[in-house]
Amino acid sequence: MKGLYYQLKSVWKDKLCIMSFLLPVVVALALNFIGGIDLSSVAEFHFGVLESDLSAQTIVWLERYGSVTIYKTQEELTDAINEPSTYMIGVKSDGDSIQTLVSGDELDLFRQTADTLPALYEGRESAGQISVTVLERPDMMAGLQNIFISITLIVAMFMGCTFNAMNIISEKENGVDLVNQILPMTQSGYVIQKIFVGFIGGCLSAVLTACCYFRIPVKNVLLMLVLIILSAFIAALIGLFIGKFSESLMVGVVYIKIIMIIFMAVPLVSYLLAAGGLISVLCYFVPSSASFEGIMKLANSDKPMISKDIFILMAHCIIWFLLYLSISKWQKKHS
Amino acid sequence: MWGNFCSLFKKDCQMMIAGKFFLVAFGSLIIYTLFINYGYVHYMNAELYNVYLYDSQGTQQEVSELIYPVASLEELNAVLSSDANGVGIDASSGTPDIVFYYGSEKTDNHRADYASSLLHQESGYTAWIVGTNTLESKQRKEMCSELLFIEIIAVGFLGIASVLFKEKQMGAIRVHAVLPFKKGLFIMAKLTVFLLSDLIFAVLMTVLNIGVSDAAVILPAVLVQTAILSLIMALMGFGCTMMLKDFRQFSLAYVVIVIFASAPVFLSANTSVKMAWIDLHPFYHVYMGLKNACFGMPVTNPVYYICSICGIAILFLIVQTAFHKEMGKEG
Repeated sequence: MKGLYYQLKSVWKDKLCIMSFLLPVVVALALNFIGGIDLSSVAEFHFGVLESDLSAQTIVWLERYGSVTIYKTQEELTDAINEPSTYMIGVKSDGDSIQTLVSGDELDLFRQTADTLPALYEGRESAGQISVTVLERPDMMAGLQNIFISITLIVAMFMGCTFNAMNIISEKENGVDLVNQILPMTQSGYVIQKIFVGFIGGCLSAVLTACCYFRIPVKNVLLMLVLIILSAFIAALIGLFIGKFSESLMVGVVYIKIIMIIFMAVPLVSYLLAAGGLISVLCYFVPSSASFEGIMKLANSDKPMISKDIFILMAHCIIWFLLYLSISKWQKKHS
Repeated sequence: MWGNFCSLFKKDCQMMIAGKFFLVAFGSLIIYTLFINYGYVHYMNAELYNVYLYDSQGTQQEVSELIYPVASLEELNAVLSSDANGVGIDASSGTPDIVFYYGSEKTDNHRADYASSLLHQESGYTAWIVGTNTLESKQRKEMCSELLFIEIIAVGFLGIASVLFKEKQMGAIRVHAVLPFKKGLFIMAKLTVFLLSDLIFAVLMTVLNIGVSDAAVILPAVLVQTAILSLIMALMGFGCTMMLKDFRQFSLAYVVIVIFASAPVFLSANTSVKMAWIDLHPFYHVYMGLKNACFGMPVTNPVYYICSICGIAILFLIVQTAFHKEMGKEG
């Protein structure tokens, strides 16, 4: 218990560690306040038209489908269409009809839209007569925002890994590691203290981040807490692994970067590509996949089924812990 | 003086080889190239919504070939729930009724009108093409400029720190205080090494991913922009190393700079999300310079170049002051 007190004291002295814990919380707060970034414009169509070329009715008609920007000259319009970051469709009048301009490098979606736009224009009178039934579904953009939130949460949960690794490596570099060897402290006692410190840090960071902008029903809070606790425990363990295998801070930072990238990219890519079958099973070898899936389910449904994810995380906890113990034992035998 | 510079340059190169910096850069070049050639250009595409028609009485005779017929109302519901962007037309009652899941107000207008237009034969109209790129060449150029930017911001910045912290900790910087050469040379040699390695990286990256013939046209402009970015990042890395105590502090500064410098830039430059304050973000202009150079539209505004040169000069002066201070410290 006293050892733990010293560990926490050394963490408290290290302002850098505290700041790295607060980083995801700051990002969460910033996202919360900046919320004004309107992502809905990404999925909209953008039309560019020439000044005093199309009639006012045509522009109103175009505005039903997306935003319309007016340009003074043909050159400005062409430049705007060719601008690589947007998918603007140029619209010009052509007698009674309209013609469309594209830059030729857009996704098929926008090219097909441009190809069919004159036909829609000609049929605009009759289009209103057909009855339309719109079925409800969760907002697409909310889904996109949930991805942002989940990834920030994953980073927060796995901060314990960064922290533990940094802490152990700097102890190694400062020679504290050697001092520890002659102190009356068992290896297991040391490991438990370290895991505990990283675990508490990761949990706190994730809970604060979640409180900042994750809105879930009260009954799911407990499930969320379980996910956070399991993930933070795994993160603390992985931090111990990094600490064990890297000799200098520089190497440690490279390892942490690689692991962070894998932890963020694997669940994100498998989610976006909707991976199935063997690949999705393979993804579960990265613990953050299960956490990410769990958070997304919590965010998207009222009655989330996350027992599978919790089970996978538990399996990770046990396997990594046993692996760490056996490696430590093996090293002790051979040193 | 030239001899001094050469020996410093040689020493820096050796340090970077020993620190496996070139290996990391070469490794990332291979990963980026594989990603662009086998991943990005193959999987990034989006088609217009699919339209499904349930027409049990055969009332719709002239439907377009783009419509997928379904056999029952259940099947129509099933395909719509699996393809939530799709549009269903239920013509079983004799008059067509359009059904789809809510997307957003304006796209829904388009989806409804598009689906009803497909009930008639299409006109075969194709839009005029005013650009010179194809989808693939655009994607290659876009990804190439992005990865080049990331590589220089993230890896180059880290590289200079890893080399310099070693020298700082070993006391090599203080040794330079008593060596008989101009102190600016030390900084110049470091900058030259990183500038050259970034330029070589930029050449390889462009040639391997955009193709030799296209790359030859845009390469001069790309190299100018790479040089500006590389000098800024190397000087910032140098400055951070001199001012921060150890690599640990640096790693936090690194995270802050990389996240806050690049995230808003990418959001504004690649999507139609435009934030009002983004014009005040210096990296936004450098990134746009690099991106436009990749697209063969180099920046011609002299203000941009004047600002870049002034920025680099100011950074250089700050770094020089910090360097002198570091040399003057007593061990």
